[in-house]
Formats: sequence, structure tokens, C-alpha cells
Amino acid sequence: MTQDNNAAARAELAAILDSLVSECALRTVALVTRDGSLVTSRGDVSYLDITALAALLGGMFSATREVAKLVGEKHFSILLQQGEKRHIHISLVTNDFMLALIFEDVGKIGMIRTVTRRIAGRVGELAAMDWTPSADEPASQEPAKRSSEFREYALDLIDRIFSP
Amino acid sequence: MVYVNIHNKLIELKIVYYGAGMSGKTTNLIQLHQGLREQHKGQMVSLATESESTIFFDFFPVELGQINGMSVRLRMYTVPGQDFYEASRRLVLEGADGVVFVIDSDPAREPANYASYEDLCKNLKACHSAIERIPVIFQYNKRDIPRALAVGSVEAKVGFTPLQVFEAVASRGEGVKQTAQAISRSVVERFAF
Ligand SMILES: Nc1nc2c(ncn2[C@@H]2O[C@H](COP(=O)(O)OP(=O)(O)OP(=O)(O)O)[C@@H](O)[C@H]2O)c(=O)[nH]1
Ligand SMILES: [Mg+2]
Repeated sequence: MTQDNNAAARAELAAILDSLVSECALRTVALVTRDGSLVTSRGDVSYLDITALAALLGGMFSATREVAKLVGEKHFSILLQQGEKRHIHISLVTNDFMLALIFEDVGKIGMIRTVTRRIAGRVGELAAMDWTPSADEPASQEPAKRSSEFREYALDLIDRIFSP
Repeated sequence: MVYVNIHNKLIELKIVYYGAGMSGKTTNLIQLHQGLREQHKGQMVSLATESESTIFFDFFPVELGQINGMSVRLRMYTVPGQDFYEASRRLVLEGADGVVFVIDSDPAREPANYASYEDLCKNLKACHSAIERIPVIFQYNKRDIPRALAVGSVEAKVGFTPLQVFEAVASRGEGVKQTAQAISRSVVERFAF
């Protein structure tokens, strides 16, 4: 495959999540690692800080897993938080990723359950895909050169940002 | 663990502030957050009790900017230092690329510093890492306290040499940026992809 792997995976995941958003009338969907990093988000993200949300969801994810262990379960696969206007449905995709769906229409819960279960496998595969050097990303040089160039730039940025 | 995200074209590095309860980890993060320009920081999230002790973690992202088409982000975390939040500390530490160990210079907290160091080693092991395997920086905080612990005393006691050692008065913002800069540099220096 000479096609760019990263771009193809990116497009496929975006398409899956976009159709999840429209099928289930979601406000927002966030795919988050167990460690609280955002893999990607779709839908409307203008009303919240998505990075902060991901960090908090990561915390919930690990806390919930520990709670599950304490009561003799491996994990709880679904969490539902109901608010007055907005609700959030969190489901495990694999051991390392979760999908958080923010929605307003409670009537969609059945649909949400079905669709998240259906797409979980593929979403998990795409989320776990490793970065591969490719043509659309400028870092297409050999790894050693790429890394050393990256470090040089990053150190420069750090010095500028943190200099007292 | 360095996280290279192909979907968001993002590289993330995780830095964790560890140390005894009340040593000043949250104060470091708050001061650091206040001292950064808007375009370089995201919202700070703090999970704390009413008495201000951290119950789970504090977090905020530092946005370094773009390098070769990838965004680069440092994720800054603190752990809860109090003894009974043991389980939460391990969860927050998981995947750390670098650690700032915040020492309370109050002589009365000497045993608490040692205990926290042992706890750090134990939890790194539980996360399949080790104190020798990631950059660790010591920060002697609360240097304004009378009869402050001698700098170097903790290293001598626990038999570990950190990459660097800083003095700080986090409550006045002194030494906060220097510490953050040093741990960020160390983490990036080891990064390869
Ligand atoms: N004198 C003095 N007090 C400080 C300094 N830095 C922090 N403090 C105070 O120490 C207390 C504890 O600070 P925190 O930053 O909440 O401590 P922490 O390490 O996050 O504590 P936990 O969340 O319980 O683990 C607060 O009252 C701070 O104002 C310092 O440099 N000097
Ligand atoms: Mg704290």
C-alpha cells in the first residue's frame, strides 16, 4: 500500500464517528485513552474544553476500573450520567480506549447502545494504530534525523515558554 | 508514555509532580499555570477536597506549538500526597515520562519526604517502570521556612541521585518555572520516534 496509512486511518475514524453523531443525534463524541488523552473528537466542541474533559474522563475511567475490581468485576463496560438537559454515555471500546457521547435526547439511549457496540471493534483498531512516517507528514526522513530535529525544535520552544 | 496520536497529529508527554502531602505540588502547578502565556496553556482541572488537599489529581496542558506538522503538548499532573490516596497516586503516575519529586523543606516533614520517595519507587515498579528509567528531578520547596532541611539531605538518605536539584518557594512562584523547564527538557531529550 503506497497510500498514506495515517491519513487513511484518520479519515476512516472521522467518518465512523461522524455517522455516530448523526445517527444518535449526539452533541459531541470524544474518543479518549485510559490515560486521559484525547484521541479525537467529533460533533460540536465549541462549548467545552475538550482537553480538560479528556483528562477528567481518563480519571473516571481508571477510578471506575478500580471500583469494579473492589466489588469483584473486571470492569464496568458502560457508565451513564444523566443531567437535566445533557447526558453522557461512556463505554469501553477496548481495555485502552473509551467513547464518551454527549447528547440531549434521552430517547436515543437504545440506539446509542446498539451503535456503540457495533462500531467498537473497528474504532478500537483505528485508535490503536501506530504512527507511521509518511509522505503527507513532513517527518518522512529517517528516524534518527527526524528525532534529533524534533528534539532541537522542542527544546527551543520549551526554553522560550518557560524562561522566567 | 509518549503518545503519538495520528488522529489529532499530536505528540504528548506526561510530567508528574510527586511528593508528600502538603509539600506544594498543587502550588507549583497553579503558579506555573498563572505564569504562562494564554496561547501556551489549557484549562486547569483540580480534583481536591474542600480543605484544598488533592483528592485525585491536578492537570493542565502546556501547548508547545507545532513541529513538522505535529502539535506538541506537555501534560502536567500532580498526585495526591496524603497517605490514604495511595491507589489514586499509582493511577496518575501511570505512563509518566518524567517526575518532579517535591520535597517539603520543613524539618518536621523529613520522614514524610522519605516515605513518599519509597512510595514513588514502589508505584513506578507497579507501573512497570523504575526510578532509574525516567528523568527525575528533585525540588526542595518551602525554602522560606526557618531551619529548612539541607539541600542534598534527601538524596543522601535515600541513596539516589536525581538528574537535577532545584530550590523553590512555590507559594511565591520562585523556582517553579525553572523546575518545569528542566523536567520538560529532560523528557524531550530522551524522546525518539
Ligand atoms: N511556606 C511555604 N508554604 C508553601 C510553599 N509552597 C506551598 N506552600 C503551602 O503549603 C500548603 C500545601 O500546598 P499544596 O500545594 O496544596 O500541597 P500539595 O503537595 O499539593 O498537597 P496534597 O495535594 O495534599 O498532596 C499550602 O498551604 C501552600 O500555601 C512554600 O514555598 N513555602
Ligand atoms: Mg495537591
